[in-house]
Amino acid sequence: MARRDGGPRRRHEVLTVIELIEVSKFFNAGKANQFIAVDGLSCAIGRGEVTILKGPSGSGKTTLLTLIGCMARPTSGRILLHGIGKECLAGCAVGDTVEITSLPERFLTSIRRSAFGFIFQHFNLVRGITVLENVMLPAYPTGESLHEVRRRALDLLETFSISRHAGARIEQLSGGEMQRVAIARALINDPVMIIADEPTAHLDSKLSIEFMEIVAGLKTAGKSVLIASHDPIVYDAALADAVIEMRDGRLVGGGTRP
Amino acid sequence: MILHPAILALLLGSLLISLMMLYAGWYGARILNAWDLRSGSELQLELEKRTYLISTLVSYALAFELISLFLFIFTADRLHPLFTGAMCAAGTLNANGYGYPLLLLKMANFLLAGVWLMVNHVDNRGHDYPLIRIKYTMLLAIAPLSLYEIYYLYRYFSGLHADVITSCCGSLFSLERPGIAGDLASLPSTPMLIVFYTVIAATLFSGAYYYREGRGGYLFSALGCAAFVTGIASIVSFISLYIYELPTHHCPFDILQKEYGYIGYPLYASLFGAGVAALSVGVLTPFRTRGSMAQIIPAFTRRLTAIALILYLLFTLIASCEIVFSSFRMGA
Amino acid sequence: MNRCIERHRNILDFALSSLLRRKGKNLSLLSVYTLIVFIIASIVFFTQALKREAALVLDGAPDLVVQRMVAGRHDPIPIAYRERIAAIRGVSEVRPRFWGYYYEAVTGANFTLVASNDGQPSVKSVFIGSGVARNSSLTEGDFLPLRDVKGTPVLFTVGKVFPSASELVAADLIQMREDDFRTLFDFPTGRATDLTVSIRNKGEVKTIAAKIAQQFPDTRPILKSEMLRTYDSVFDWRGGMVIVILSVAVLSFIIFAWDKATGLSAEERKEIGILKSIGWETGDVLLMKSFEGVVISLTAYLAGVSLAYAHVFFFSASLFEHTLKGWSVLYPQFRLAPVVDPYLFCVLFFLTVGPYIVATIVPSWLAATVDPDAAMRS
Repeated sequence: MARRDGGPRRRHEVLTVIELIEVSKFFNAGKANQFIAVDGLSCAIGRGEVTILKGPSGSGKTTLLTLIGCMARPTSGRILLHGIGKECLAGCAVGDTVEITSLPERFLTSIRRSAFGFIFQHFNLVRGITVLENVMLPAYPTGESLHEVRRRALDLLETFSISRHAGARIEQLSGGEMQRVAIARALINDPVMIIADEPTAHLDSKLSIEFMEIVAGLKTAGKSVLIASHDPIVYDAALADAVIEMRDGRLVGGGTRP
Repeated sequence: MILHPAILALLLGSLLISLMMLYAGWYGARILNAWDLRSGSELQLELEKRTYLISTLVSYALAFELISLFLFIFTADRLHPLFTGAMCAAGTLNANGYGYPLLLLKMANFLLAGVWLMVNHVDNRGHDYPLIRIKYTMLLAIAPLSLYEIYYLYRYFSGLHADVITSCCGSLFSLERPGIAGDLASLPSTPMLIVFYTVIAATLFSGAYYYREGRGGYLFSALGCAAFVTGIASIVSFISLYIYELPTHHCPFDILQKEYGYIGYPLYASLFGAGVAALSVGVLTPFRTRGSMAQIIPAFTRRLTAIALILYLLFTLIASCEIVFSSFRMGA
Repeated sequence: MNRCIERHRNILDFALSSLLRRKGKNLSLLSVYTLIVFIIASIVFFTQALKREAALVLDGAPDLVVQRMVAGRHDPIPIAYRERIAAIRGVSEVRPRFWGYYYEAVTGANFTLVASNDGQPSVKSVFIGSGVARNSSLTEGDFLPLRDVKGTPVLFTVGKVFPSASELVAADLIQMREDDFRTLFDFPTGRATDLTVSIRNKGEVKTIAAKIAQQFPDTRPILKSEMLRTYDSVFDWRGGMVIVILSVAVLSFIIFAWDKATGLSAEERKEIGILKSIGWETGDVLLMKSFEGVVISLTAYLAGVSLAYAHVFFFSASLFEHTLKGWSVLYPQFRLAPVVDPYLFCVLFFLTVGPYIVATIVPSWLAATVDPDAAMRS
């Protein structure tokens, strides 16, 4: 992993929010079509930083995102969260650290819902319901009153200048507008970290740059951002604090950036 | 007898319950076999998904069992004119040797399913599934009871023969069928009254103590179960007398009818609810030191205790009101 | 606690919107489901109403009827038995009855002939029930020819047609004078068809019946309660039979429902994947799917039951009457009195909603356990 300014990473300078130790993820283990998506990977994500996962398709970026974002469990290895998620577990965290490796799904989801916001490559918005409902959707199972959630959702739509589309169906929006709805949805539960998977894959250069501006805004607001991308606009941006390069499920060591 | 629509419904209901419980038990066995929380293997993930299915199945089985219990009693009541000497559901149940055991079995299945769901609920709140093996072993023990229930149900209803004229040459003139008792066996009323209030008082005190101090869980649970049994015996023995205002009417089923203001429902609902809660306290207490359960079980059992206490209080209140405001006086 | 309720409300909200978004599939499911509920509910209501009508009719029946049996067949009873029966303690009255069946070859109808001087029919005059009037197109003043035992036609005048309100008891009835009855059938003198016995204290009916059977071994006493029970059983049995036959239909429906539930369209699968990826856990999705099932069940149940109610009580169950009322040319046409019985609704619930819910548990669970990261890759 390399830092922007070229120097070696000094641990005490950056607060780690997520730590991975020798993490592997296998699919169809033991069968003929066994596939190793992530292989013995160790890394640390810094708090309040914009981290980029760089690598060609098939390198395991998406799988790594799902592991970090509490969406899947690693086949082996350990994943630790520092300073997030401990309110979701009944007093079983050690200090500020929560190990999510063997957590049952309901705890994993509970942590994910409150601490992470996802932006998907294909936006993954629900067709047939309005923009506003789409943004509110992640908050339904939390048991919060919908009145509150609606207010927050409208504020978010306002922030991204798409309030006028609040009652529209997803099908009627342009690519850039859908992107913003996706971002608003990711922020509805006020997460600590935003995770984006190839966010600029369906956007033109202008919209991609706009996206990076939004990311800058998020960083200023104190959120950590993790983006997987093979788009130079993303990984070459001045905004990026750290770049993790992957190939074939493993880290590509070294490679300082200009 | 089997072709009566209500009996078909009961058989179908029992079949469905059995199906669900056996399915749940089967997968429970597989989980017992291969569970390993630490492993991130695909088998483990698959097993974790199965636990959702099992919980859902047992929850539905519980709901169905409850409805089926009421339906069973109603059907027994509706069928009583078909049997000479039967005056209410009690008579129908007495028509052959499977009736009352079947009722008890249904009640037991309901209680056990309820307790299992409590254990399941607590286990799910712990991030390390500490009770998983106990839970599924319990399930393996409970599931076959539902098969037993179908068997008894079938034997009971197929052994019921209505006193009807079955051939054009035949006649009946309704000789008394041997074995039907119009009056239920019941314990002497006044001593029972004393026993009832004593047991309830003891339960309330021990429950309050447990709630405050967190100690004496076993004692409370034992007293709570005793209160449940006493409650049922009391309904038969003296509470029913005050509701019916008759010194000989002991039937525990008629209080569910419209004529008596459906008072049976709140009585039985509170009694059964309290029974499940009290029993669950006793079942959960031994595990309060396991892993994450240390944070979860004590709070949960305290809540269960509170619920049990409130329900027993409600039961006692309703019963006492019936006794005080009834125009019947014992020994009068 | 509040959060729990809110959570349920929110998820129910989404479940409803989800159902409305797939109108085509859900509507077809709903219609078949409603049909099944309708059929079974109709049967249950009809059986119940018939039982009630029978009970009402039998209310006026005599406490005890004594018939004579010869070689296992019904034979006219000597009227002389009357005195000895009336002498039994507890008997208040014994009356002979004269009645029989008359088969009319032309229409293939069976009439019930009753000899009674109530209402004073004049000589060779009959009072007929509305079913008879309909069947043979007769009104007051018309002639009704009946054949006697020798085959000679005897002409009767229709003196009165019983009002249609009495259909259930009198549809196939022909009432005539006692002497006309005896002449027509060449009925043996000193005999009656049977004897009705009225008893002062209802609790003694069984004892008196036993005494009669003992004193007159060639007779069989029939109690009113036994008749009631027998009718009840027959209706129940018939109703049950039809339900069993219908079980094939119910089973097909269940398979259909299962198929619909497991066959998640790609769209639905994607949607669930999205839900799981944005923070819904398996329990939440399962709850949503359960709500969907419950909403469909309840809607079909309410619609089916209401339609069945209207069908049975306002349209006299025109679709089923033949199976349940029995085989006869002469049908009484009557309106059944509505019966609202919570017990019946419980029975219907188990027969219809229960299987559906159980059939959809596993498909719902399969749908809910879609991996969230699958949504990332779609």
